[in-house]
Amino acid sequence: MELLDKLKILADAAKYDVSCSSSGSNKKNKKDGLGNSCYSGICHSWADDGRCISLLKILFTNHCIYDCTYCINRVSNAVPRATFTPDELVDITINFYKRNYIEGLFLSSAVLKNPNYTMELMLEAVRKLREQENFNGYIHLKAIPGADNYLIERAGKYVDRMSVNIEFPSERSLKLLAPQKERETIIRPMSFISSKIIEGIEDKRKYKKAFDFVPAGQTTQLIVGATPDNDANILRLSEALYKRFSLKRVYYSAYVPVSSHPNLPSISAPPLVREHRLYQADWLLRFYGFNAHELLNETHQNFDIDLDPKCDWALRNIHLFPVEVNYADYELLLRIPGVGVKSARRIIASRRFGSLDYADLNKLGVVLKRARYFITCKGRYYGGINMDVHSIKEQLLINAKNSRSLDSGEQVSLFSLYPDLLSTGDKLSSITGEL
Amino acid sequence: MLYYFYDGSFDGLLTAIYQAYYRGETPSRIVAAGDFQESLLAEKVYIRTETEQSQRVYVSIQTKISRQALRNVFYVYLSELPDAGTWIYEYLRLGWKIGKEFDRMLSDGRVLRVHKISQRVNGERHRILGLIRFRCLEGNIYYAPISPQYNIVGLVIPHFLDRFPGQNWIIHDVNRKIGVFYNGETWSLGDMDLENEIELSNGEKLYQSLWKEYFKSIAIKDRVNPKLQKRNLPVRYWRFLIEKGQ
Repeated sequence: MELLDKLKILADAAKYDVSCSSSGSNKKNKKDGLGNSCYSGICHSWADDGRCISLLKILFTNHCIYDCTYCINRVSNAVPRATFTPDELVDITINFYKRNYIEGLFLSSAVLKNPNYTMELMLEAVRKLREQENFNGYIHLKAIPGADNYLIERAGKYVDRMSVNIEFPSERSLKLLAPQKERETIIRPMSFISSKIIEGIEDKRKYKKAFDFVPAGQTTQLIVGATPDNDANILRLSEALYKRFSLKRVYYSAYVPVSSHPNLPSISAPPLVREHRLYQADWLLRFYGFNAHELLNETHQNFDIDLDPKCDWALRNIHLFPVEVNYADYELLLRIPGVGVKSARRIIASRRFGSLDYADLNKLGVVLKRARYFITCKGRYYGGINMDVHSIKEQLLINAKNSRSLDSGEQVSLFSLYPDLLSTGDKLSSITGEL
Repeated sequence: MLYYFYDGSFDGLLTAIYQAYYRGETPSRIVAAGDFQESLLAEKVYIRTETEQSQRVYVSIQTKISRQALRNVFYVYLSELPDAGTWIYEYLRLGWKIGKEFDRMLSDGRVLRVHKISQRVNGERHRILGLIRFRCLEGNIYYAPISPQYNIVGLVIPHFLDRFPGQNWIIHDVNRKIGVFYNGETWSLGDMDLENEIELSNGEKLYQSLWKEYFKSIAIKDRVNPKLQKRNLPVRYWRFLIEKGQ
């Protein structure tokens, strides 16, 4: 088979993996080596779906022994199959890298023969890149659930980031859609990697020459909308993963219908807004000091599709507002809808030189469209309406709707296959994952 | 109204700022001679570049204000906006008056303006790190044409020196006709203009077609979103992208 065809099949099969970030690692190049990595990560292109391309995201093979209902690579699905050799993969990676197409490699795989066999092939490709080609760019490797720990441990010394995809938020959903897999085989490698990372950091303290074990940490991915799990379950799971395994990221992937099966929901388009709300909430967990139970609980199990999670939370806790921006501390500033990490820091920095006017807030990057209903500035309230939950909510919804209709005015395009549901700012952050 | 004109170089700009202090004048604008706009009312002073004077201003920014301020000033200069000189001058005057803390005064227009532009220049520098596309030419030289909005070609050198130390590479700002040359040992930044067609090496077309195929296959058809794509990857950058242009 031609290399071009292999690339086509195996890139196509890898595209449902969301993660493409190349961040978290700050390796300098070695002598006579090729490549380095940049802590913030670098995007190299953006595909037609608007998602960034940073790594060569590809499967080693799409031959699979499993028959998971939701997956395009399931054994019973009639799709063209291909497998790389480690050398082919090394050649493509190096040549793409030298032309600055990519930041490195994201290698995943379906399971060929058995997990150990697959993991060994992947390990061989990664080893060749590092040892034979002296390649120091970014490598993200999927750990194959069910592979032996010693293989994962060896791989961890070569790569920057590892991930195991949980895919389903509950044991029940897993049973339903991936009956051959067990939750235990997914969680075990995650906890193994996390303990090895901690060990590696301690070793590094003692011996200068100790290996960096997975320096950019581990991540995982959850599919949204393929199972009846509600947002509260998903968010609680994410919170637990961040706390227990100190994951760098949990990615959410709106389920794209790839097959019809009685166990799968029949939907016409991926639930993108829901995915977006989960990302927003995820950010609130990691950077804004929120807890999962503050955002969602038994009485409030799913996010409002029309309001972002922070506005939603603020309206349910309206007794905490309005907040005086000239006095509130950092933690409280972060809780105001329309104030982000950057603008909160700017407020703190610049108000040391004198109190801020309402007009200054705009300059500092505060989104007044939302924030104005929740703040006072020098004691004055600028909302322009009564400060009660219903009037504010009504106003926020009108604002959101207006920005949407402006958007769709421009978007009279033949290429647009799904309805434009989010405002532009929302869509941008949902994909780039930028702060 | 008093206008200062300098030769367009960074040294020239700093000399102009030195002269303003030395002469005890406060020019209302400091403009590069190329960006000359006729004004009947203005009194015009042409400043001759003196590296000794510019050096003193350079050191003074670094020691009396901060390295951060120096970086901001340089980045704003690289934006090549017609008012950049004036904005830098006003920013520095405030800086010398208040000291390094002045960078926190974001509600002051003079500070905010410089920060915003400096951020934009830095943003393009970062973006170009990803968008540079090398083509392997005959003789194993990796050549990348770019046409950035700001003059950032010099700012990307350290990144590629560390990344491709064993490779011959050229990064060519096609519009400004300048380029960075690296031969595996030393680098230089200078004027550059290509008269002849470049000749690609043998394997080059193969990897270009592989990359184009990859680019097509990685997009999820159910999520196609050209507007988002253009937002992240403005069309002005497409010209030299293998996967988009040509």
